[in-house]
Amino acid sequence: MTHQASSSRDPPSPSASFYDVSDDEEGGYSTIAHANSGRGVKLLFSKSKVYVHPTPSAKDNIAGFVALVQQKSAPLASDERERPGTSSSSQSKKDNDDASKYLLAWVPESSLAQDDFSTYVKVDMKDAETPPKQSYLVPPLPVASYYDDSNVGPYAFSLPLSQIYSILVRPPSIGWWFGSIVINTKSGSSLPALFFHDSECESTILQKKRRQRESFDPFGEGGDLFWGGDVVIRWLKRYVTVERSTAEPSVYLVNPTEEDLYGFGQGRKSLEGQKSDNNFQGQKKKPPGPGMDPLTKTLKETRWKLLESFAKITTFARKTADDLANNNNVPPQMRRLLQNPEVQTIQDEFDSARLYLARWAMGIAEQSEREKRQRIFTARDVLDTEDTDVGEFELLDAVEGIPDGKRRPVNMKEWKGYFDAQGRLQITEDEVKERVFHGGLDPEDGVRKEAWPFLLGLYEWNSTSGERRAQMNSLRDQYIRLKGQWWERMIDDQAAPEQEEWWREQKNRIEKDVHRTDRHIPLFEGEDIPHPDPTSPFYNEQSPGTNVHMEQMKDMLLTYLEYDTPPSEQQKSPDLLVNSHPQNLGYVQGMSDLLSPLYAVFQDDALAFWCFTHFMQRMSRNFVRSQAGMRAQLNTLDQLVQLLDPKLYVHLQKVDSTNFFFFFRMLLVWYKREFEWSDVLRLWESLWTDYYSSQFHLFIAVAILEKHRDVIMEHLRGFDEVLKYVNELSNTIDLQSTLIRAEGLFKRFEKTVQAVDKKNNFPAAPTPEVRQRQGKGKDAEEGDKLTAGGQGASSSNDVNHKRTESQADKEKVISPELRLLLSRKIVMLDENAEAGARTRASGLKD
Amino acid sequence: MASRKKVLLKVIILGDSGVGKTSLMNQYVNKKFSTSYKATIGADFLTKEVTVDDRIVTLQLWDTAGQERFQSLGVAFYRGADCCVLVYDVNSSKSFETLDSWRDEFLIQASPRDPDSFPFVVLGNKVDMGEERRMITQKRAHTYCQQRGQMPYFETSAKDNVNVEQAFEVIARNALLQEESEEYGGDFSDPININLDQDREGCAC
Ligand SMILES: Nc1nc2c(ncn2[C@@H]2O[C@H](COP(=O)(O)OP(=O)(O)OP(=O)(O)O)[C@@H](O)[C@H]2O)c(=O)[nH]1
Ligand SMILES: [Mg+2]
Repeated sequence: MTHQASSSRDPPSPSASFYDVSDDEEGGYSTIAHANSGRGVKLLFSKSKVYVHPTPSAKDNIAGFVALVQQKSAPLASDERERPGTSSSSQSKKDNDDASKYLLAWVPESSLAQDDFSTYVKVDMKDAETPPKQSYLVPPLPVASYYDDSNVGPYAFSLPLSQIYSILVRPPSIGWWFGSIVINTKSGSSLPALFFHDSECESTILQKKRRQRESFDPFGEGGDLFWGGDVVIRWLKRYVTVERSTAEPSVYLVNPTEEDLYGFGQGRKSLEGQKSDNNFQGQKKKPPGPGMDPLTKTLKETRWKLLESFAKITTFARKTADDLANNNNVPPQMRRLLQNPEVQTIQDEFDSARLYLARWAMGIAEQSEREKRQRIFTARDVLDTEDTDVGEFELLDAVEGIPDGKRRPVNMKEWKGYFDAQGRLQITEDEVKERVFHGGLDPEDGVRKEAWPFLLGLYEWNSTSGERRAQMNSLRDQYIRLKGQWWERMIDDQAAPEQEEWWREQKNRIEKDVHRTDRHIPLFEGEDIPHPDPTSPFYNEQSPGTNVHMEQMKDMLLTYLEYDTPPSEQQKSPDLLVNSHPQNLGYVQGMSDLLSPLYAVFQDDALAFWCFTHFMQRMSRNFVRSQAGMRAQLNTLDQLVQLLDPKLYVHLQKVDSTNFFFFFRMLLVWYKREFEWSDVLRLWESLWTDYYSSQFHLFIAVAILEKHRDVIMEHLRGFDEVLKYVNELSNTIDLQSTLIRAEGLFKRFEKTVQAVDKKNNFPAAPTPEVRQRQGKGKDAEEGDKLTAGGQGASSSNDVNHKRTESQADKEKVISPELRLLLSRKIVMLDENAEAGARTRASGLKD
Repeated sequence: MASRKKVLLKVIILGDSGVGKTSLMNQYVNKKFSTSYKATIGADFLTKEVTVDDRIVTLQLWDTAGQERFQSLGVAFYRGADCCVLVYDVNSSKSFETLDSWRDEFLIQASPRDPDSFPFVVLGNKVDMGEERRMITQKRAHTYCQQRGQMPYFETSAKDNVNVEQAFEVIARNALLQEESEEYGGDFSDPININLDQDREGCAC
């Protein structure tokens, strides 16, 4: 096999002998005999509560240890500590000679004698970064190739590291609660999946805790949540080179050859060839296990392994498992298997399988995209990646005329340069907005503090710095007084009981939410001061329960309520700044999400507060009692997708998803939960410019949808699947390319509108400029026909594409909602649309 | 309908904001409690495969935002539910008092065929916080549940993993019973229909 040939090709490390000495110095375990058997292997590392799941039923799970052992037979061993760093890229010094001395093993608890059991536990609890000084000896374990009938237990095995080809690593995640690893041997077989029951594993729990305590970093190797499998990989890295495949992030290659690296790291094409080689020919070569076809066995072993196997094929076929059975690229053996009714049922059973496949397929596509660029993402790259049938978009518009220099962030120096000696803007407002829209602001140098109040409309663009200073002085004063008002009311007992009750209730809500908002940001993380309010659930006599920034957040939100609630007559204070449009929203979930970035950037409560009031002018429609603002936006999104991507729209209809509810969270808090913190700041400052549209966030939504349209259309078959898929995009979306795609979509939208208008105006026909959409369902059904094929007569006629396209434009309808998307003016709800609280039939109200 | 069709049980978890719905679900499915869950916006679900009396079923647990305001859009998920879990916080009277509203809201929106027999399970969460903070006694909660058709009641802690497994076992069992009883009545799979535009569809029912 190729990898074997090439691995022996690696010359032995010149420094190997040097390292070998060190173990001898350590005292040489070979002189200590194992207490019981007189022979043993040296246990370097172990981890408890690692299970094999032989059947889907939890009661069949077998608990055991995963371990790294050193064979006695090996005359000398190397010691990692001597090595300069644990660089995984230094391939040459870890050759296979070395790797064959070390074995990765799994042993069931039940097979261990009491003494050995305690040894495993002891080594596990050592929790050291390096092999234990003292030698811990345990009985040798059967080597993998005959694990089936070993006397230790049906699944115990050990495998020299030199025999490991790759390891599939699946960290724990929502819906897949145990992290697991699967070892693929060089002979082409896969060992049973090992599931890390981290919550039962003392050492992992401790490690997790320590991490959080020491570095506030609960994350492990790959930036994911820390889990038991991380530790195993880390240990392997001491003895062999472990490379994470760039094309297939869950695959870790062990002592990979050049070819392997190429196959798992380059574009999709080479991956296909390589993968089919490695996996399928390998599979065929595997000597059949006792009584069972190895593939069937693989499939039966665990649910994830099954999915993993399907996914492996899907990645290159990009087809669902159904199609695979008929796909000629799939080895006949696998094809037969997929047609096997038993396998079919297993497959049906896993309703999340499709979802999983979908995400997997997308991951691959994305990864190779990233591979391709390996540098700053430019608009041209987006264009390149769109050259499949994904989206069929002309992103050219977005690319043309925007040199990549324009996409560099505006830093403080550039910003300062926009203003004259009096601090008055000397270029146009639009120029500034254009720059910020495309480039964002420098996250490091504090320019955000300067620029955001302008973008949010707190500062006038044509003000001088003197004017702004005066304005801020007054605003600071106002903030303190507003804050004083509710404060006094709360302690005075002067308010009417029902009013007091309302405020207490609001305070509770705010309290609960602030403690759940962005606690991963260092600013909000700590709890270092005592909680001031003994009635709070976060109050704790023994330990501090809050921090000063959370307290500031609470104050600002309460002050916003004060500001947003129409004052009763006697409360009115004559010289207080009056909110001319109090919306009386009350505190609504999501507000804390909107405030926290402002506060974190300004770290100035008054400034953050006033900027927040401005931000809320455009966001308040998301929070009104009737939810009219959210409905309106989801509705507009519905129309927009219908216009821009009718095929996708039809699919969404089929799967009952045209309510677009799966975008609710994204729209409510402007993608706060979908992007990582730094990207949220960048996205918001772009959106605040209203450069193309005050509702550009809806184009972001379509851009995200378009990116995943193929996956959605191919794999997702129900509303729940779409919702889950979209929810789980969270933290996987690339911002830069999304912004560019959204820009392209906007331009496309703009052109479409122009084309429609031109056609409608040309033969001065008295057709109404704007046709109302009829009942949603019916209209939508025709949407595809109308846009793709004019009157339906020539529908799906590709030859006449050009002609029908222009006809389609004519048939397209630009509703008032859509037309509004061209406006840069902030959309606010009709005041009378929100008349009083609507009480629901059940009596729920807020 | 194929008899050996895989069983997907849909469970809706309702209750005031902050009572611990998300935490309970994560404790049950992912076996962990984190103080850094965010307030739920929109809706999400987790699935878990469990064995109920030797049958393997998939639980689909729906978690929605607790703030009342968001319910008007969220109700679409209630359709086709097999069990509804009502959660309150034993340290908050208000969250207990709103249980009836949540129950009614569910019955109105989900419109199960036989509302009287529809399975609810009530969870009094956060029992770990100490007796001195407790506002609702176990007795009071029991009486309440008795009066409303003997709803099973559990006192739980998502934080300390108290009674969570037990509660969801009952939830799964009751959901399965419900699903089986529905099966006799033919296929009632209502497509999810969120009322995006109330005026247009004119549904003021
Ligand atoms: N002490 C204690 N705190 C809990 C428990 N369950 C949840 N909490 C805390 O209560 C707060 C709210 O918990 P969530 O699970 O987010 O509540 P939720 O019901 O999902 O709230 P919404 O998403 O707003 O509807 C969080 O701060 C949790 O850490 C519990 O059993 N004990
Ligand atoms: Mg929640």
